[in-house]
Amino acid sequence: MLKYIAKRLLRSLVTLAIVITIIFSLLRLMPIEGYFPNYDKLSPGQIQASLTSMGLLDPLPVQLWNFISGVFQGDLGTSLIYRVNVPITQIIAEKAPISIELGLLSVGLSLVVGIPLGVGMALASLVKQKKGVPSLAKKTALGKCMDAVGMFFATIWEKLGTIFIVVIQAVPAAVYYLFIQLYGTDLFGIPTLFNKNNYATWILPVVSLALGNIAYYAMWLRRYMTDEINKDYVQLARAKGVSSSGIMFRHVFRNAFVPMIQYLPGSILFTMMGSIYVESLYSIPGMGGLLVNVIQRQDNTMVQALVLIYSVISIVALILGDILMSIADPRIKLGKKEEAR
Amino acid sequence: MDTKQEVILSVKDLEVKFNLRGKILHAIRGVSLDLHKSESLAIVGESGSGKSVFVKSFMGLLDSNGYVSAGRIEYDGKNLAEYTKDKEWRKIRGGEIAMVLQDPMTSLNPLKTVGKQICEALKLHGNMPKSKMKDAAVEILRDVGIPDPEKRFSQYPHEFSGGMRQRVVIAIAVACNPKILICDEPTTALDVTIQAQILHLLKNLKEKYDLTTIYITHDLGVVANVADRIAVMYAGDIVEIGTCEEVFYNPQHPYTWALLSSLPQLGVKGQELFSIKGTPPNLFHQVEGDAFAPRNPQALNIDFAERPPYFEVSPTHKARTWLLDPRAPKVEPPESIRNIRGLKPLLNPEFVKLAAGGASDE
Amino acid sequence: MAYRNKKTKILQDSMEAHMKASFSPEEAFAFAHHDAADAERGGYSNYSYWRSTFQAFKKNKVAVFFVFVVVILLLFTFIQPILPNQKDPLLIYEDANGQRLSNLSPNGEFWFGTDSIGRDMWSRIWSATRTSLFIGFAVAGVEIVLGILVGVLWGYVRKLDFLFTELYNVFDNIPQTILLILISYIMRPSISTLIFAMCLTSWLQMARFVRNQIIIIRDRDYNLASRCLGTSTFRIIFRNLLPYLVSVIMLRIALTIPSAISNEVFITYIGLGVPTYTPSLGNLINEGRKLMMDPALRYQLIFPTVVLSIVTISFYIVGNAFADAADPKNHR
Repeated sequence: MLKYIAKRLLRSLVTLAIVITIIFSLLRLMPIEGYFPNYDKLSPGQIQASLTSMGLLDPLPVQLWNFISGVFQGDLGTSLIYRVNVPITQIIAEKAPISIELGLLSVGLSLVVGIPLGVGMALASLVKQKKGVPSLAKKTALGKCMDAVGMFFATIWEKLGTIFIVVIQAVPAAVYYLFIQLYGTDLFGIPTLFNKNNYATWILPVVSLALGNIAYYAMWLRRYMTDEINKDYVQLARAKGVSSSGIMFRHVFRNAFVPMIQYLPGSILFTMMGSIYVESLYSIPGMGGLLVNVIQRQDNTMVQALVLIYSVISIVALILGDILMSIADPRIKLGKKEEAR
Repeated sequence: MDTKQEVILSVKDLEVKFNLRGKILHAIRGVSLDLHKSESLAIVGESGSGKSVFVKSFMGLLDSNGYVSAGRIEYDGKNLAEYTKDKEWRKIRGGEIAMVLQDPMTSLNPLKTVGKQICEALKLHGNMPKSKMKDAAVEILRDVGIPDPEKRFSQYPHEFSGGMRQRVVIAIAVACNPKILICDEPTTALDVTIQAQILHLLKNLKEKYDLTTIYITHDLGVVANVADRIAVMYAGDIVEIGTCEEVFYNPQHPYTWALLSSLPQLGVKGQELFSIKGTPPNLFHQVEGDAFAPRNPQALNIDFAERPPYFEVSPTHKARTWLLDPRAPKVEPPESIRNIRGLKPLLNPEFVKLAAGGASDE
Repeated sequence: MAYRNKKTKILQDSMEAHMKASFSPEEAFAFAHHDAADAERGGYSNYSYWRSTFQAFKKNKVAVFFVFVVVILLLFTFIQPILPNQKDPLLIYEDANGQRLSNLSPNGEFWFGTDSIGRDMWSRIWSATRTSLFIGFAVAGVEIVLGILVGVLWGYVRKLDFLFTELYNVFDNIPQTILLILISYIMRPSISTLIFAMCLTSWLQMARFVRNQIIIIRDRDYNLASRCLGTSTFRIIFRNLLPYLVSVIMLRIALTIPSAISNEVFITYIGLGVPTYTPSLGNLINEGRKLMMDPALRYQLIFPTVVLSIVTISFYIVGNAFADAADPKNHR
């Protein structure tokens, strides 16, 4: 397994290097106004001189080399417009912790809610299959009543769950975030703007960010569990006398959860992108809100640093998912990388 | 074989139905069967004849839209057909009746080690201290002919070949310590050379653990090798049942004739192989008369009108066909199957041993 | 299903005919008339991919309903400007005194009210839906054309497989949203910028899908057999791929539209989207958002979001239902 992980890491490093090169090259096309706080007042000569002194007219490989070697010395450049001449690392060090906290909380919440939702939906569809199947057992009126109630809840659970998943997946996050802010603040009397020390103000942003992942986890877990339930090994387990709950948890749920691991990177990415919007809606002083801010203010060096950081995080998340998968599923290391998924 | 054998499992007029999108499928249509202790019974029939459904109903393993709608399944003084709860079935499953499934590639949990899956069975059906479990599991793995069992114990199913996996599935069944072992097409998914080895193994285990075995298969070659008695199933009904000799050498039902005629070994070089024309009846509809009649070129008028009863040919041999009625015209079985005795390789029990000894697994 | 029933009905009838003749004992044991074709009729009917897909789809009542919604929506969106009594989405309406008719609540004249500078919300919303659907269809179109072309090349020409796979592995790692933001940042905000940015990597998935299908089709045993009999590979691929392609094209269109709309709303919020003078759903929602804390003006947010949600949800449901129906596993 270690060999597999080492190989995977090496490949990923190459990928990472290529992706960074591509994005860095694209970043060279940024509008040059973004390098100057007072672009309109400068003469072409002055602009030329500053660009040269910033090294922006050097050949691309030289610029990339300078940037990368800067990164290894903990230097991402300085902000030019957003906070003039402040080192970007310092700004990010201020902003990152709150984004990380927010992200972890929301992923945690989505696991806590999404998993039971998905498992419940898979179980509900099992119950529903029994619909119309008469039972030979002599049942009391109470027993029949209980069956009917069970069927009713199974149906409701499945219907509501499905509607929830469809709405969350189809309606743009940007839209339902707005409505959560609009009605959440109204209904619960929570202040609209975020305040780090007022825990009530954390609720809406965390819930907003979690919704997408809840729907995502529930949908896939339900699908995987339904797949697993119909597999032969479940029948064999039943044939050897394992109880229904034992089958559900020791076999079906465990096996269905393994492929879920590969969605972890996706959901980290989703949370990250969602936070760009949510943070700026609630004025949360984090990385996401920062990105929107510097884009609107056209601060090129800040945009560059943030875009690259986001790219690195997302690639690292993908690698993490692959490695976790190879630990959880013994078949992966033998199979070829892509086909085994 | 005499009729006074101890009956271990007795099925009476069993009917099984499935609900498929609001329609009712009659999968089993009033089947009766006595299973004798320590015998080896083969149930043969083409796919869709209901043979798997039939035996799954003994273990409460019908799909959730299937149910026993009438009849009894008597085992150890209890009527299994009345069982509805998981808790009741768990006393039967594994410990009393165990099962080997068709496809060893899918019937093991891919994410658990082989040892763990055997230990799960041991834990459920014996009060063995945990410390001894591993030794017991290794012992069973050795019994089913897996080389180097200590090492194999902690490997995952994907590290085993198809034949070896089927041995593991058999090990799991044996670990439950059952009285009846149901083998649902145990060799269909395997290579021919490995098939013989698995059959040989099952035969040995049957002796060693004093098992009563039911084989479900459509392969008459398998049947000839392992079965004491044969039940022929068609469209959810047993149309003929008798000892192996009786069914092979003195078949009575036109469907049995057709089934035997389609053995490739009976084909004459240069001639087209025999195949049964037509398709089995649609079990969503009530079947009237003899279900095989529409495919039988020599069907009688009454075959379309009334379901034939069982006619006894010998104390151990009976068949559901009007041809056995004294009023019926004499219809001879097809020429080809009269030579079936000449088919040495098919019926010679030495063949199995030969194959088993000839090559080791893999 | 209807077809199958008809066949079994014929069989039923013929069996009943046999039975209705009440037999005398001699007749009962006489040989019955045997018709080999009759025997074939007993079982299950033959199978057609498209008919089964259609049947499976039809069973999903919710999806059928949303198909109607999609059709009506598309029709209405495009004929709305030529209907009578429609206003100009760009015109600023003024009263007799030259005062702007801004922030008027919905009324008989302005069905959905007016916005903050006095433009007609009703016609702006439909104009915006046109813009958003145009973006969606354009992105889906590029995705399909590019995806199929590259996918076929990738799967069909074995020598290219390694190269393309490596390239795919790199480009698939670039996060789409980041690329979207970046491209919108370095190019001038416009509809074509948005389309370009969304198309840049989205066709990769499609190409990979087509490639996988082609490889599966090429290497399946029954197709190998078919090739041995002299069928050309191209013909095999064409025959087998076509059903997949049609269903995947439908699915892509249906799912790209919600995601394109979603991206447009997001990018517009960041300030890199369609210029504010062009009505687009993103722009309308963004304008509505600024006023949403005033309950009296909330309609300016709610109307566009309701229309947007109907569009995205119906496309999403139809797309998924079609994908399910097109899967042969669901054709029982």
